[in-house]
Amino acid sequence: MRDYELSRFFFDLQSPALAAEFRADRNAIMGRYPLAPEVREAIARNDVPFLAQRTNAYLLRYYFFAVGMKDDEFIRRLKHG
Amino acid sequence: MAELVGAFASSHGPLIIREWERVPAQEKARMSAAFGELGKRLRAARPDVLVVVSPDHWSNFFLDNVPAVCIGVAEAHDGPPEPWMKGFPHREIRGHGPLGLHIAQTALEEGFEPSVSHRLKLDHGFCIPLWRMALERLPRIVPIVVNSIEPPLPSLARCYEWGSLLRKAIGSFPDPLRVAILGTGGLSHSIGEPTMGAIYEDFDRETIRRFGGPPDDLIRYLDEQLPTHGNGSEEVRNWLVAHGAAGGRGFELVDYLPVPTVIVGCGFASWKT
Repeated sequence: MRDYELSRFFFDLQSPALAAEFRADRNAIMGRYPLAPEVREAIARNDVPFLAQRTNAYLLRYYFFAVGMKDDEFIRRLKHG
Repeated sequence: MAELVGAFASSHGPLIIREWERVPAQEKARMSAAFGELGKRLRAARPDVLVVVSPDHWSNFFLDNVPAVCIGVAEAHDGPPEPWMKGFPHREIRGHGPLGLHIAQTALEEGFEPSVSHRLKLDHGFCIPLWRMALERLPRIVPIVVNSIEPPLPSLARCYEWGSLLRKAIGSFPDPLRVAILGTGGLSHSIGEPTMGAIYEDFDRETIRRFGGPPDDLIRYLDEQLPTHGNGSEEVRNWLVAHGAAGGRGFELVDYLPVPTVIVGCGFASWKT
């Protein structure tokens, strides 16, 4: 399953400028995207497995790299939530 | 007429750049030597044009439009957009429009349906091998994107056929160009899925062994094994394109080593064309 808007959000955050804006004010940037409430909440709590079911694996990885999550932590969350 | 003067393949994982300083010295030395050897062989082939076959890692295409195969037909393309690729010395990369268009036209005449692009961003998949091969001067590049990132993916058999098609297209191009092919990606790795970080060395070595045998056996093996050996392993499609261009013969491994620091089974190969 692909959540188009979530995927678009992750895709756009490949832009370093937008990623910096997002790190400074998450809600302001997320507000530009019509994300479902449960998706917004999953982003807020870094719910990797939930998001993994809704987007491409590479986009997922790019997002968590953009927000500064270390790979070890990302892999731990992929495996164990 | 143009002629195919070489076929090559190389891994391209981002951590080869981002985590290079953390790679243990012995592995770093072997990877450097392998890239260097590929660069030496490529220079010896003296290509005027290099057809580089790679996935697009969400640099050009989004879910709106994910082509199975896209041929770059422009006279110039953009260098890698990733910030961590800023050290790559080419911001603009010369293409070869007439050859790109000829490949696209030949493909359509032969029952293949590629898309075309008049300006591609050549991301790390294209540029890491070019960078690490330390070519003093880049030949003109005809980029070909083969989707191995977002399912549904082109079949492995079709990727091999694409290689045969490329050979035919190159051989029928009227100008006397020397053309080489470089397939990039693989071997095993896993990105953004619960097995992320896994390298399947046994799978990689068996894949390499089968590149030396009948193409049908190789494709059958990969069809069976790829679904359980990491999503990044799907990039072996680009090796299959090079293999098809070489007629399924002459595979020669330059080196293979699993490199946990870059989370890729790193392979380097060329073909006697």
